[in-house]
Order: sequence, then structure tokens, then C-alpha cells
Amino acid sequence: MEFEESGIGEECGVFGCVAAGEWPTQLEVAQVLTLGLVALQHRGQESAGIVTSNGASPPTYTTLKGMGLVNTAFPPDALLKLRYGNLGICHTRYSTTGISELQNCQPFVVDTLHGKIAVAHNGELVNAHALRKKVMRHGVGLSTCSDSELITQLLALNPPLEEQDAPDWVARIKNLMTETPTSYSLLVMFKDVIYAVRDPYGNRPLCIGRLVPISKLHSTGAEEEDTEGWVVSSESCSFQSIGAKYYREVLPGEIVQISKHGVKSLSVVPRPEGDLPAFCIFEYVYFARPDSIFEGQMVYTVRQRCGRQLAIEAPTDADVVSTVPESATPAALGYAQQSGLPYIEVLCKNRYVGRTFIQPNTRLRQLGVAKKFGALTDNFAGKRVVLIDDSIVRGNTISPIIKLLKEAGATEVHIRVASPPLRFPCYMGINIPTKEELIANKPEFQNIAGYIGAASVQYLTVEGLVSAVQQGIASHQDDERIGSSSKSSKPVGHCTACLTGKYPVELEW
Amino acid sequence: MSHPESKVTTVPHVVKEELMASGKWVKLEETTYVDPAGNTRTWETVKRTTRQTNTEADGVGIIALLKRTLHKDCVVMVKQFRPPLGCYTLEFPAGLIDKGETAEVAALRELKEETGYKGEVVGVTPVTCLDPGLSNCTTQTVLVNINGDDMENIHPTQQLEFVDVILLPLDEFQTKIDDLLKKEKIMVDAKVYVFAMGMVQAFFKPRELPVLKQFFHKAVYLKQVATCYFQLFMSLISRCSDSVFSNCSFLI
Repeated sequence: MEFEESGIGEECGVFGCVAAGEWPTQLEVAQVLTLGLVALQHRGQESAGIVTSNGASPPTYTTLKGMGLVNTAFPPDALLKLRYGNLGICHTRYSTTGISELQNCQPFVVDTLHGKIAVAHNGELVNAHALRKKVMRHGVGLSTCSDSELITQLLALNPPLEEQDAPDWVARIKNLMTETPTSYSLLVMFKDVIYAVRDPYGNRPLCIGRLVPISKLHSTGAEEEDTEGWVVSSESCSFQSIGAKYYREVLPGEIVQISKHGVKSLSVVPRPEGDLPAFCIFEYVYFARPDSIFEGQMVYTVRQRCGRQLAIEAPTDADVVSTVPESATPAALGYAQQSGLPYIEVLCKNRYVGRTFIQPNTRLRQLGVAKKFGALTDNFAGKRVVLIDDSIVRGNTISPIIKLLKEAGATEVHIRVASPPLRFPCYMGINIPTKEELIANKPEFQNIAGYIGAASVQYLTVEGLVSAVQQGIASHQDDERIGSSSKSSKPVGHCTACLTGKYPVELEW
Repeated sequence: MSHPESKVTTVPHVVKEELMASGKWVKLEETTYVDPAGNTRTWETVKRTTRQTNTEADGVGIIALLKRTLHKDCVVMVKQFRPPLGCYTLEFPAGLIDKGETAEVAALRELKEETGYKGEVVGVTPVTCLDPGLSNCTTQTVLVNINGDDMENIHPTQQLEFVDVILLPLDEFQTKIDDLLKKEKIMVDAKVYVFAMGMVQAFFKPRELPVLKQFFHKAVYLKQVATCYFQLFMSLISRCSDSVFSNCSFLI
């Protein structure tokens, strides 16, 4: 729960749609894009932006950007101007500490030698600082401090061997990928296609879905000619609400072309020899919606497995198991299943108390946290409770909860955390507090139970987390889709830098 | 100062109908009638031989809206060769009312035969005349919604091989018709084009009265004419624009 409280978040969600068949399309592309953004709202609530194109030569781009949630950012009559789009990309942005300005909102649209491109980006470039200098040395001016603008400018640079009148987007994107190794999941819209790109380490997620008629969504009868359009999204949870069938993931390093004719893999840029992929493990732990699918497995299932693993590693002599609502619930259920202890609810959450109640000092913040929860006393009075939480970052959000439970009658409160302690900063897009603030780096960590008032505290080990995640990965599934004849299993790897300090790439300073 | 004769007005009425020629489907009559001034005159009248006794209207015209989730609502049109004009026309699906049928039943049957779609009736207009200077032919326009998500309405098969089905999005109806006119030698049915203009009005300029601005000085007479048309449009449009504007409320 502390991820939610401290505002540690994923920076952004991206979504795109291309209508299949004849253009002008009868598919409501703007509606599909809006519904896609709503489904990705958990990845960003600060602002949202949509760019649609009519796909003509030259194309007409229509942009709509707004602050806040998708519901309020776009007034209905403003959405009407997007209705002639045949394809489009859109983006939701997470809160940053700086002033939120509309021009910082993605997608960015720039004019290049060959025409306009629109770019939506999820992630953070590890070498942004050096790359900015390089781009500015080329004479390009930058108007924001955003990585995404940097990417857009890099794409606009002409690669050395490109011909005058034929833009080679594969070459341009490959050029970008050699300049920066991670992390980015990109959607680049140009003329009548969308290029979906994932960095060679696959740090941020990206997957493709196929729009079919609603009545054929759940049957197996959807043929190729039933395809109404293609969608690409940070997470697959958006597909159900728009009538799309999950198609496949964009592989790490892959450049996929999505057009009205279908999905075509243009290239897969390899990692340096011996490097494994580095998919952000916190997508599984916290950020992604539980119904999303990564690497062939559902996020909820992984969280539940983490709970089971936690029960194996850190069993407790107690009476009941419960959760801090709602993100820790799958893990708590897994813990209960593995340990045999009954699962009960001990806390009632007030969902109208949000992060907007960010109080200036610690005492007030603790009071605020207590306002967010109430104790379901009857369920646990006189019992020893194991409370599962998904994170303890600073330690000052769980202590008021423990106090609340003990005052309501719990004889013992044992905390089991379904993730390892955070110790290191993340440079790939997660805004983890500075090293000094992290409880795992403080001397108090030696006696964390006493510090927060719990009877005992145990975290999931890194090895436990990694095994829970990698256990369910189906390695052959996606190979078949792109026609790979190799029967060898795909390499699997996850970024655990914030837990272990081992970064997937060397960081430039 | 009054002259009784010039002030006498009679209610116009038909006195005699004399058959002049008859074919299999259509007949020609000489209609003797008394005009509003009291003079007896004749008129050449065309009539269909197929009019049923239980219904007032000869036939039905169908304004069918194909509704599919996350797609624009489309009007179902038909394109066919019409011998009297010697060219192709763009019309609403239509047909004659058979013996024992109501207008609604006839409409759904004709729609299925001509386009393959299975629809549901949502409204019927009163009996209206088609070409009153030429014939006594009447029609009722039936408003139909087609559930495009239903399995049987995906790739429907139609029975009539010489009829082309054309789907045109409602929010660009007039534009799309104009595009077709530029591309092909086609004659658009009057009801279709007038409906298209009404949709433009409803979608884009809901509070402006159509066409009236340029005839501001002839306000009285033209306003009466326009108001009649306007009322007909608005009743049709209020059904259609519900679906158009419901497209805007796709935010949860």
C-alpha cells in the first residue's frame, strides 16, 4: 500500500489503434482510443493526450490534450473533432513533481523532412543527460525537459544512408536504439502506420490486440477477415473493454509495423552478447493491473504466487491472514492458501481519501493514513493477525495501520511484505524516493518490527520473487506468432535493480 | 361592395375517375374534379394496380440505422438500375405492402430481402404522398434499428442480385452522398437528399432554422413551407440524433 501512498508510480501508459479495411473507416477510432486510455488510467492520472490521423498523403493530424483524468480531461464536444481519424495514438501521464503544463503532455507531434510524426513514450532514457547534449550539439533546440521530446527529435534526425525521398523508419528507429539502450516502449505514428517499438531489454511492457466484432470476441470463430482493427497498448487489460482479442507481445528490441493491412515485424534489435532481457519486475509486483498479461501469464496469478512463496519463506504462528486493501489481496490469498490459515478482511478502505491528502509533516500524514482505513473489529478481536502488504518503503504508512489493528483488539500483528525491500534508485522510470529515505537503508531496518510496532516483519526474498515470476513464463508461445523456426526457448530476464543494485546496463554519468 | 360570385369558394373534390389505360402494375385514369373556384376540370392521374384494401399506403420506405459497438452508425442505402430514369439511383430500401401485411411487417421483410439485415422497427411516419402531381402513390417511412453486433447481421446475404447495398455513416451522410455523385453517374432520391440536409442541420447547427436565412424577406410564405418540412425532419432527426449524440457520451 505504501507505493500508492507515497506516489511511487509508473510513468505513463501508451495506446494506439489502426482501423483495418477500407478508409475512411466506420470504426470509431477516437472512441477506441479514449476507452483504451481509461483502461490504462492506473498508469497515469495527471494528463492525457490523443492524436488521430486521417492517414492521407499528406495526413491531417488532430490533437487533443487535457489535464486530469480521461473522464474530465476531454469534454465530449472536443472529442468530436477527432472523429475523422483512421488511426491514432494516445498517452496518459503520471504525476511529476514539477508544474504540469499542457505542452509537456504527450503525444508529441513534429514535422520531419518526410512529414509529420507523432510519438508516445513510456519509460525513461538512462542516458538522457548525455543524449540531450548530443542532440543540442546537432543544432536541435529542445523546449521541454522531457525524454519523449528527446526521442522525437532523435527520430527526426536523418540517418546517414537514407535516401532523399524515401524515409527509412526502420533505420531511424534502429539509430535511436543504438543511441539509447533503455528504457522505452514507443508508439510512432507516421502517415498511415504506427510503429510499435520496445527497447532491447524490454524494460517497459507493450502488447498488440486485434479488434473483432463483439459477438465473436469470446468464440473461436473470429477469422482473419473479421479483423476490424489493430490496437497496441502498454497493458492488455485495455483489450477486453474495447472488444479486442490479445494477439501478442512486442518482443524486446522489436520494431513492429501496424497498418490497415495487419501486423508486420520489421526487425528485432539484439542486446549486446550475453545480456538478458530486463523486464521491470515491479510491473508484476505493483504497477500493472491484475488482469493484464505479461510473458504469457496473468499478473494476478504472479502476485498470488508471491504470496505462496512468502508463506513458504516466512511462515507465521498466527490465527488469521489478511490484506491491506486492495493491491496486496492476491498475495494475501496466496499466503492463506499456502499456509492453511483462514483469510479474513480486517480493514475497510475509504476509497475517497486519495493521495491528494499529501500532508506536509509526518504526524499529519500518519493521521491521514488512519483516515483512509477503518478496523473491522469483529473479524479479528483477540486474534493473532498476519497482515500482507505489497510494500514498505519509508515505513510510516504501515505503522498507523498496525496501531489501528492493535487498538481494535488484535493480540499480535505480523507483517509479511510481498516484495523485497527497495534499496536503490531506479533510472528507468520509477520515481523511487532517494536512497536515504528508503527504510531498508536506514539503521532502523535492523529492528524494523520494533520500529513500526509489529510483532514480526519479513520480506519476500529477491530469489523468491524472481522464482515466483519466472515459474509461469511460457517461452514458446510468442515465438510461433512471428514465425520463428527456432525451437529454443526465449531468454527470460527481469530488472531487479531497485532491489539488488544490479542495473541492466551501465549507467552513464 | 361584395360580389357574391367571386367570393364563393367550394371545397375541391373529385367528381369522376375514368380509366384510360391499364398495364399489369400501373394504370392511367382521367380524374374529373371541381377546383377551389368552383370550376370543373380534369387531371391525368397515374395509379398503382397493387394497392391493398387494408392499408392506405402503397408501399414502405425504410430508414435503417446499422448500429455496431465502437463503429459509426450507418444508414443502409440501396443502389439499383431504374428503368424509368435509365440510370442507377441511390435510395432508401423500399417496397410495396403485400396483402395482409402492416407497414411494419412489410418494412422488415423488404429490408431483409434487399439488404440481408434483420432489423427492429422503432417508428413509423403517417401515410405520406410521393408525387402528388402525377399519382396517388403513398408511402409510410418506417424507422428501423439494426443490431450490428448480432451474428446474423455480420456479413449478411441478400436475396436480390441486382441491388447493391451501400452503408453511409450518419454523421457524414450528405458529404458521402456528394462524394458518390462526383464519382458515379447516379441519381439520388429526393427523400434521401432532403434527409441528408436535415442531418447536417441537426448535427452541426441544431438551433439554426434551415435554409431560411437567404429568404428572410419572403418570411411568411416560405416560413410556412419550411416549418412543415422542418417539423418532419425534427421528428425523424430526434430519433436519429439520439443515436448520434449518444455516440458522444462514451465516457464512463
